[in-house]
Amino acid sequence: MVQRGSLHLTTAILLVAGLAGLAGAAWSRASADEPKPKPENTISIQLGDPVPPQKFAHPPKFWIADVIDRSGNPQPMLVMKERGGVFLEKQPTAIVREALEQSLKAANLMAADAGSADLVLRVYLFHFGLAAGSGLDFFGKVEFSTIVKNPKTGESQEVKAAGTSIAKGAVRKKNLQKNVQEDIEEALHDATRNFLRGTQLKEAVAALWDQAVAVPAAAPAKEEASKPSAS
Amino acid sequence: MRVATVGIVALVLALAAPAKAEDESPQFKTAEAKHFTTAEGVELSPTFVDYFYAELRSELTKAKIVAEVIGEGEAVDDADAPQSLVITGTITEYKKGSVAKAALIGFGAGMRSLRMDADVVRRSDKQNLCVLHVHVKVDPRWNEKVMAKTAANQMVKEMKKALKEGAKPSA
Repeated sequence: MVQRGSLHLTTAILLVAGLAGLAGAAWSRASADEPKPKPENTISIQLGDPVPPQKFAHPPKFWIADVIDRSGNPQPMLVMKERGGVFLEKQPTAIVREALEQSLKAANLMAADAGSADLVLRVYLFHFGLAAGSGLDFFGKVEFSTIVKNPKTGESQEVKAAGTSIAKGAVRKKNLQKNVQEDIEEALHDATRNFLRGTQLKEAVAALWDQAVAVPAAAPAKEEASKPSAS
Repeated sequence: MRVATVGIVALVLALAAPAKAEDESPQFKTAEAKHFTTAEGVELSPTFVDYFYAELRSELTKAKIVAEVIGEGEAVDDADAPQSLVITGTITEYKKGSVAKAALIGFGAGMRSLRMDADVVRRSDKQNLCVLHVHVKVDPRWNEKVMAKTAANQMVKEMKKALKEGAKPSA
């Protein structure tokens, strides 16, 4: 009876030990496959030439208050997991902020500080990097939504922007990294252009800023008209 | 004799070069491709439409029909509007096919199929320049994104052909 009990116990212990061993092996294999950021697998994404924005009737001064990551991606800097991984040098939020600031500054539409801004932008980043493609090429996608707010009136409007790019696939790691970098840069450029030249931004500026400019200009004229004449 | 041959070759090349350059100059200034809508009953993943949009823009850039392919909802200068295109479309039918039929029967049976219609209009006056109907069939084992790539390629080819034919003066 005692012997049978000890046999059951030994079997149970062996089973638990076996399962633990299997789980441990699987975990160690998974952690070994997990890519780590190194200088050789890290890419730097830059906008390149600034995007010239559209012409506004009354050019406002913008200020980027915040760029918030809403992608839900736990590893936003990892753009590709396969082939040892491809990492971004900076956070996607920082890259998008730089791209927008660079273009706004080049067009003299950037305010010196938040206090002097006519319109404040709050950017919500939904996607940055590669998206699921055909497997034959790389599908780069940058998607964000911006809340444009007039700090004086408190009114705001949403402006959506998206950029896509298709780059050819590659076999060699060096070419693969180069193509991924070019693809994301192109998508970033496309998204920045889509935002700055979009009809949605034009309508938002017209509603939030052009009206605010037109009201003070019309007000003195109205006062003049309401004054009683001296004669 | 040799000098004469070289001379003839040079003459042929000189005459061919401007013709080629003329062919490569884009017919339109800008083209805006919009995201295609899906008809009722079309069961495609939401990412398909996004990927097709990207592929269509990429193919338009490669085809050199237009000088610039702009993003959806971007403003165009009034002066450029008569020379600008807007492409809209609908995915009208999608059949996911059958791997078993394709493997057992073959000869095109069980193929994955996609039908889409597109309208190409002039931005300034909304005049319809061409209507395109594309039907793509691919192996059911292939990724649906491969189908998007094939469809985009076929659509741009047909568009290029239709716009060329439309540009020719009628006899």
